[in-house]
Amino acid sequence: MTSVSPSAPVKRLAPALAEGIATCMRTDPRVVVWGEDVRIGVMGPTRGLVDEFGSERVLDCPISEAAFVGAAIGAAAGGLRPVVDIMFSSFAYVAFDQFANQAGRLRYMTGGQVAIPLVIIGSAGAAGANAAQHSEVPSALFLAAGGLRVVFPSTPHQAFWLTRAAIESDDPVIVLHHPALAATRGSLEAEPLSLGDAVVEPVGRDVSVLATGLMAHRARAVAKRLAGEGMFVEVVDVCTLNPMPWNAIIASVTKTGRAVVVDEGRLTCSVASELAAGIGERAHDALRAPVRRLAVPDVPIPFAPNLEAAVVPSEEAIAAMVCEVARA
Amino acid sequence: MQWLRTMVRIRLFEQMLADLYKAGRLVGVVHLSIGQEATAVGVCSALKDGDQITSTHRGHHHMVARGLDPQKMFAEILGRAGGYCRGKGGSMHVSAPAQGAMGANGIVGGGIAHAVGLAFAAKRLGSGGISAAFFGDGAANQGVLFESLNLAALWQAPVLFVCENNGYTEFTPTDAVTAGESIAARAAPFGIPAVEVDGDDVVAVNRLAGEATARARSGRGPTFIECRTARWRGHHEGEESYAKPYREPPAAADPIDRLERVLRDAGLAADGLRAAMEAEEEAGLAAALAAAEAEPEPPPERALEDVFA
Ligand SMILES: Cc1ncc(C[n+]2csc(CCOP(=O)(O)OP(=O)(O)O)c2C)c(N)n1
Ligand SMILES: [Mg+2]
Repeated sequence: MTSVSPSAPVKRLAPALAEGIATCMRTDPRVVVWGEDVRIGVMGPTRGLVDEFGSERVLDCPISEAAFVGAAIGAAAGGLRPVVDIMFSSFAYVAFDQFANQAGRLRYMTGGQVAIPLVIIGSAGAAGANAAQHSEVPSALFLAAGGLRVVFPSTPHQAFWLTRAAIESDDPVIVLHHPALAATRGSLEAEPLSLGDAVVEPVGRDVSVLATGLMAHRARAVAKRLAGEGMFVEVVDVCTLNPMPWNAIIASVTKTGRAVVVDEGRLTCSVASELAAGIGERAHDALRAPVRRLAVPDVPIPFAPNLEAAVVPSEEAIAAMVCEVARA
Repeated sequence: MQWLRTMVRIRLFEQMLADLYKAGRLVGVVHLSIGQEATAVGVCSALKDGDQITSTHRGHHHMVARGLDPQKMFAEILGRAGGYCRGKGGSMHVSAPAQGAMGANGIVGGGIAHAVGLAFAAKRLGSGGISAAFFGDGAANQGVLFESLNLAALWQAPVLFVCENNGYTEFTPTDAVTAGESIAARAAPFGIPAVEVDGDDVVAVNRLAGEATARARSGRGPTFIECRTARWRGHHEGEESYAKPYREPPAAADPIDRLERVLRDAGLAADGLRAAMEAEEEAGLAAALAAAEAEPEPPPERALEDVFA
C-alpha cells in the first residue's frame, strides 16, 4: 500500500500519464510519441510533451490507425520505444490486426527473436453521452488477444508509475485510462508500482471487491459508505490486468471469503468472468459464498445519459451486490 | 429556392445547437457543420427517394438535407425518447435508413465501405437506387477509403464518394498530415472519375453530383467528388476548454449568401425572401426544439433492446 507523504507532488490523472511519459523521455532518447493530435493532446496523456521534447519526438499522425500502430510495432522492433496515443481505446478496432495478430504474436512466432517494446495509451469507459463507439472498456478484448500487457490505472499515482513501467517493459503494453477520471487529483508518491501489481487497502474483513478504473473509485466510495454501517469491504484495485495480480487477489479473498467483481466491460467473456473463474479455481476452499460479477449487460453503451447510467454499474448497484454477498 | 431554404434550415439548426451547448443544455460532443451547407445540399438534391447516404461524426447537415424531421433529430441529439435512434445514438449517430440516411458514424471512415455495399445491394436487387458516402479530408487517410475505391471500381458500384475537405483533421491542418497533390487525385489510380469542386458553390456541387448520379444510374460505376469547403466553428463545441487557438478564421464566403446572390442575379429572389425564409424556418425549428425538449427520457428498459433481431 502507498503511504501518503505531504511533500509528494499533486497532479491530476491525465497529466500524471504525461509526466510518466516525460520522465522516460528525459532519460531515454529512444522514447518517441505519436498519434492523432498528440501535440495538442486531446485526451490529455500527451499534452505539453511537444513543448519539452519537440516535434521530432512528438509526431502528429493522420487518421490512419492501422498504419501508425503498425509503424510503431516496426519502430519498436527497430530499436525505438514508441508510445502511441490512440485517443479512445475503441479506435483500436480499426487497427486490431496490428494489436492481436502482430504486436501480440511476433515475439512468440519468431521464437523469441523480436521484442516489441511498445506502449499504446487509450481512454476507456463511459464519461457521459459519448455513445457506443466512444464509451467502451475493451480490456477483455486485449486480454483475450494475448501477448499484450494491459494496465488500467485509477489514480494519478498509479497512472504515473504504471506508464513508466509500461515504457520500460520489453513487451507491448496497453495503458487504459478512464475519461471520467482525467481530472481526478492525487499525489505521486515515491513508492513505485510495477506491472503485475494490484493496489489493496487492507482494511476489509467482510467482502473483497475487485475493480479497475472508474469502478475502483465507485468501489472505494461504497467501501467508505458501508464502513459507516459496520461492514468492512476490501477494495482490490486490479490496476494491472496482465500480468494479473493473482497473489494479491487471492490473499484478499482468502481473508474475506467473499468476492464481488465489478467491471465496466460487457458481462460475457469479461475481465469479471476471468477473475471470478480464477478465484473459484484458486480459492475455492476459502469461499463462503459464490463469487458474483457486476458488469455492463451485453449491450453497447447507449447515448442518452439515463440509459448510460442504467447499464454502467453504479455505486448503488455495487453496494446492493456487496450486501447480498455479505449475507449469503 | 428549395436549396436556399434547406441551407438556411441547416444553418439555424446548427446555431440552435451551438446556443444549447453554451447554455449547458446539450449532452455529449457535438460537431457542427456551419459553413458546409452547400456540399450537403448540392449532393443530396441530386439524390432521389430510395437512394442512401452514409455520413460522419459531423453529419447534421447531411441529415437535414436528406429531409429528416428536425424534431426527431433534436430529440436524438438531446437523448430523448422520440429521437430517430430512440435516444441510443446521439449527435454522432443520427440515422434514418427508411429515409435514405443509413447514418452518421462516430468512427472516422466507418461509413465509406457501407456505401459501397449499399450500392452493390441496390444494383443486385435492381432497385435503381444509388448511394453516396460523405467523409472528411481526415478520413481520406484511412486505408478503408482505398480499399473501398478499389472494390467500388471492381464492382462498378453505383456510389458517389463525396469528400468534404474543410481543411482540418480535428486540430491539425490536413495538409500537415496528408501527402500528395490532392485528395481527388487518390481516386484516379482506380480508374474512378474524380473532380474537385468549390464546395461552397451549391450550384456547382449539384451539377457535378447530378453527372455522377447519372453515371451511377446508367451502370457506369463510381465517381469521386472532392468538395473544398471550410469549417467555420471548431472541431467540436467546447473545445476551447483544452485546445489553444490553433487556426485562422475561415476566409471562405458564406455559401448561403452566395446562393442568395445567384438567385437574385437570376431574378428569382425578391428582397426580403431570405429574411422571410429565415423567420419561417426559425419558427419551425423553435417549435421542433421545444417539442423535443418536452419529450421524456427513453424508458430504462430500452437500454436492453435492439441488440438482435
Ligand atoms: C477511427 C477514428 N479515429 C479517430 C477519431 C477521432 N476523430 C473524430 S473526428 C476526427 C477528425 C476527422 O476529420 P475529417 O475526416 O476531416 O472530418 P471533419 O471533422 O473535418 O468533418 C478525428 C480524428 C475517430 N472518431 N475515429
Ligand atoms: Mg476535415
